[in-house]
Formats: sequence, structure tokens, C-alpha cells
Amino acid sequence: MKVSELAERTGLKGINSVAEKEVERVYISDMVSDIITGPKPRSVLITLQTHKSLIAAANLVSVPMIVVVKGRLPSDDVVELATSAGIALFSTDLDAWSFAKRLVELGF
Amino acid sequence: MSECTHRWFITNFRAGYLVLEGCTHCGGRSSFFSREPAPPIDEYQEGKHFWSYMCSYQAVKFDLECSACGRVVGLDDMNALMLSTCNDPRCAVAELRRSRGSSRVYVALCADNTHTTGRCVSAGGIGALNEYFNQDLEPSDSRVVVVPCERCSSIDTCRGIVLADTGLTELY
Repeated sequence: MKVSELAERTGLKGINSVAEKEVERVYISDMVSDIITGPKPRSVLITLQTHKSLIAAANLVSVPMIVVVKGRLPSDDVVELATSAGIALFSTDLDAWSFAKRLVELGF
Repeated sequence: MSECTHRWFITNFRAGYLVLEGCTHCGGRSSFFSREPAPPIDEYQEGKHFWSYMCSYQAVKFDLECSACGRVVGLDDMNALMLSTCNDPRCAVAELRRSRGSSRVYVALCADNTHTTGRCVSAGGIGALNEYFNQDLEPSDSRVVVVPCERCSSIDTCRGIVLADTGLTELY
């Protein structure tokens, strides 16, 4: 599924603008040390974290889309880093579990 | 030389702490990986150095194993990975970023940032890391490049974002 389609169907709020990419699977984590070894390329990353090192880890493992839950918003320098890495950032007021259920309903 | 087209997966996963120390005598910096339940904070003398605890981050270590031939590449000599954001014109890593126009250049940090021992992350480890992080990419995806920290002009001045769980144990 395309990132933009997923965002539209789940009611996500966009934080930045990058080139369109595909996502195929989902990974949930708040730990950088876990993200280095966890997600496969083309995963949606659901997280509560907004630290710069999270973007650096997601970039390493080719995550094209990050959804920050519970209404948190990353700082401008974090958004800038994600944009330069081509990672689409979104925000939702839902918690990780509630948002993950929406993805299951979409067939992930 | 191996004939295998390696297909790497992570093995020997170890969770722990990346501990940073400073020498109160010479101002030098050192780091090590600890698997203790809590990061050690003891001061101690090692030769001419008097090491004192500075900070620690939750981190992981792992090795890579090929599912095709069974080869295991140990990465015990790597303490962390760092996304390079360096723009130092004298730095080879910064030049690599510029020449590739890439936001995906990572530095594999070894324990000895002075490299006085002549050792850094092994060439075999660097090769396996590059293959692992690129093996599932589409042809149109930009490549991940991992280089050893001995390529940096000075690891003390090199700019980057270390992949460690900064701030997780802080209250805010």
C-alpha cells in the first residue's frame, strides 16, 4: 500500500512531505536499539519516541513511514532530518495498540 | 574468497549498555559495552589513565550469520553505529557523503577512538554490515554505506547521531 493511501484511510496527520513510497508491514517499538535489529525494509514504524536517533535508526533499516502516537510531535530538527532521509512522518492521537488495530483492519 | 552470495541474519543478540568514560588525568575518552543489569560506574586506573564514568545508554550488540553457508561474522569490535552528519572538509566520511549525495552513510564505532592500538572494526564485519543493510532493498532505493570509524579525520570532532537509547532512563 502507498504511504499516502494508508495515511488517508487511517486519518493520520501529516508532519512533513516526501516522495511517495510503498509500505508492506508494521513494526512497533520505542527503542532505537531495537529498531536497528527489528523492522524489515518498507515497514511502517509506530512509536512514541520523537528523538533524532530514532530517525537515524529508521533510516538505517529503510523504514519509509513513521507514525508518532498519542498526539506527540517531533521538534523541527527531527522533522528536518526525517525529510532529508525521505521518511514520511505522521501523527495520530491514538495510542500504539489502537492504531495497530486499524492497520490490522486494513489487512496488514 | 567465499563463493556464497551471503544472506545475512542477526544472531547472538546481546542487550546492554554503551558506557562512556573520561580520563581525569589526560582528558581522553573511552567507551565499552556492558552486559551488567545496571551500567558500572566505578572509577579505576588503567596504566596512565584514571577512568571516570560519564554517561551510559541502552544499546545492543549482535553478530551476523549467513543462512546459506553458515558463516558467522562477529561484531564484538563494534560498539555502536552512528549516522554521519559530518561536513568537515578534511574528513573522508564527509567527502563520501558529499560525493554520493547520500543521507545514508553510517560510521561503525569501535571502542578505541584514538586507534593507537591499530585496531578498528574488522573489514569482514564492515563488509557483512553493508551486505546485511542492503540485501532487501529495491534497485531504486538508495544504498546504505557503513564505514569504520578509522575513516573519520577525528572521531572527537566528527559530527553524527549515535544509534543508542539516549534519555530513556531520564525523568522529564
